[in-house]
Amino acid sequence: MLIDLKDINKTYNNGQPLHVLKGVTLGIEAGEFVSIMGASGSGKSTLLNILGILDNYDTGEYRLDGKLIKDLSERQGADYRNRMIGFIFQSFNLISFKTAVENVELPLFYQGVSRRKRHALAMEYLDRLGLKDWASHYPNEMSGGQKQRVAIARALITHPRIILADEPTGALDSKTSVEVMDLLAQLNREEKVTMIIVTHDPTVAEKTRRTIRIKDGIIEE
Amino acid sequence: MRNLFQEVWESVRRNKLRTALTGFAVAWGLFMLIVLLGIGNGLRHSTEANMGDISVNVMEVWGGRTSVPYDGLQEGRRIRIDETDVRITAGPDFADVIDEVAPTISQSGIRVSYGKRSLATTLEGVTPEFSAMNKIQILEGRFLNEKDMAGKRKVAVVSSRDAENLLDGSTDYAQLVGRRVRTDSGISLLVVGVFKVDRSSMGASFYVPYATLRGIYAKGQYVDDITFTFHGLASEEENEAFENRYRAILNTRHRADPTDVTAVRVFNRFRQSLMMDKGMNLLNVGLWIIGLFTLLSGIVGVSNIMLITVKERTHEFGIRKAIGATPGALIKLIIAEAVSITGVFGYLGMIAGMAVCEVVNLVLGKNSMSVMGEEFRGIVDPTVGVDVALEATLLLIVAGTVAGLIPAWKAARVRPIEALRAD
Repeated sequence: MLIDLKDINKTYNNGQPLHVLKGVTLGIEAGEFVSIMGASGSGKSTLLNILGILDNYDTGEYRLDGKLIKDLSERQGADYRNRMIGFIFQSFNLISFKTAVENVELPLFYQGVSRRKRHALAMEYLDRLGLKDWASHYPNEMSGGQKQRVAIARALITHPRIILADEPTGALDSKTSVEVMDLLAQLNREEKVTMIIVTHDPTVAEKTRRTIRIKDGIIEE
Repeated sequence: MRNLFQEVWESVRRNKLRTALTGFAVAWGLFMLIVLLGIGNGLRHSTEANMGDISVNVMEVWGGRTSVPYDGLQEGRRIRIDETDVRITAGPDFADVIDEVAPTISQSGIRVSYGKRSLATTLEGVTPEFSAMNKIQILEGRFLNEKDMAGKRKVAVVSSRDAENLLDGSTDYAQLVGRRVRTDSGISLLVVGVFKVDRSSMGASFYVPYATLRGIYAKGQYVDDITFTFHGLASEEENEAFENRYRAILNTRHRADPTDVTAVRVFNRFRQSLMMDKGMNLLNVGLWIIGLFTLLSGIVGVSNIMLITVKERTHEFGIRKAIGATPGALIKLIIAEAVSITGVFGYLGMIAGMAVCEVVNLVLGKNSMSVMGEEFRGIVDPTVGVDVALEATLLLIVAGTVAGLIPAWKAARVRPIEALRAD
């Protein structure tokens, strides 16, 4: 089991305690193509944050590829995120003052890969996603679909075990959404990357092979 | 390294005006520091230049009045030093320290005439050693020599000021050398040289052989003062110890308290120059402190602007952390930016400061004030050296790091979850 959640609880203490995840138990195998669906406030974003080691949980156990992810130092967390997980965000989250290729290179920069090597690799990924000609363009010169493909290239470049996508089509029109979903499906098929997509859009969820529904902090698959 | 500075450049480029304004404060701080240190150096050099014509390892001794009762004698008794003191000074007691000893006697209020011109002056009876001790600069002819001494010759070395007066305003001193001048008591003196007047011999106008003056004016055993050169006294303590030893022996001879500093007076030019050095170093420290405080406001400015930058880039730092940036990587980024801003603008300020110092050197350095006929230069070579440039470089790196510390800490604390925040 690549991802193994056991009885995860998470409470936010902003004034009034808010019990967001109420004992989530979940297993995801390597190579799966999963969507997590839920209304806003259901706890799906919190679950994603915990899966992506962006946030801590209170009780329970989260094992990623067999390793217990708990009370990690910031350094360790950064290292796991860098090597194991690729992120795709709704608002793309490209760095605006960096070109497409520089954005794709960035995770390799934090791995300490040499300048020449990471540039070559980033160009290779942009080429595969059909963006070779856009390599030296800045994000504000590209369309939404192009930006999301740059973000996908950035997520893929470190060969992560998992790709976590948070509403990847949320900011895209329906035609581009289909293209992006097809691309993700293709990557899952060809690269065997475990793909976890958080969405509230049923048409997106349909494209995945398994859908996990979350409601009021409880999984109801 | 290259990546780091590329990132810094990207960040700075996006905020040109703000960076420039902040940088100006740093540049100004360093500019002030360099200019202040330059002025300090100028004052130091001018003191050195103005003191330059006086030998430093020289002590002068003359008689004063006792300030405490001793050996049954009351205080206030006048002490007159004499040739026995000269012999003691030159004798085996102090042979370890004292090199050359030169007694002087003087006779003031002498009227000297040459042709139709006459003037009132002082005759100083000195020995040939006097010239070296006081760095007498001969403009024409020569100084007194051993033959003058041995033969008690009636010769004189005239100050340039008096020579000018006797020559009716002419500065062609050669005209006077080899001529005779006459004193009001009818003594004819052969002028053998003309010396340049300087501050160390403000009142001295005519140097004549010690033996000659003593003979003419029947000075007896008494001398006005003793000047001697010494060696081997490096520290202030050593100097003071020697002065005390010397004073004790002479005081005892004149039946004064061995520790009475006003009985036989000793003036040590070396100690005075040590004190001057101390004062100059203190001034330098003071200037550094003022400069550093000026720079401090620049550093606070950089720190401030870096805090704003970090605030603005919170989302970006969140993204960076999400894709694997460690806190250390972000700390490095921010510190590098702070050090770059302080460094670049600091260097601009430093170069501007050095340029101003050079200009001041060109304009003011050549100017000299005339004080009582003496050339006096206020500021000499007000420039700073490579040592200050290196110190300033180190200072800028430290200052930049300090400026970046709090912002860097803030950047490191950005949570990766910020990446998910829609903006």
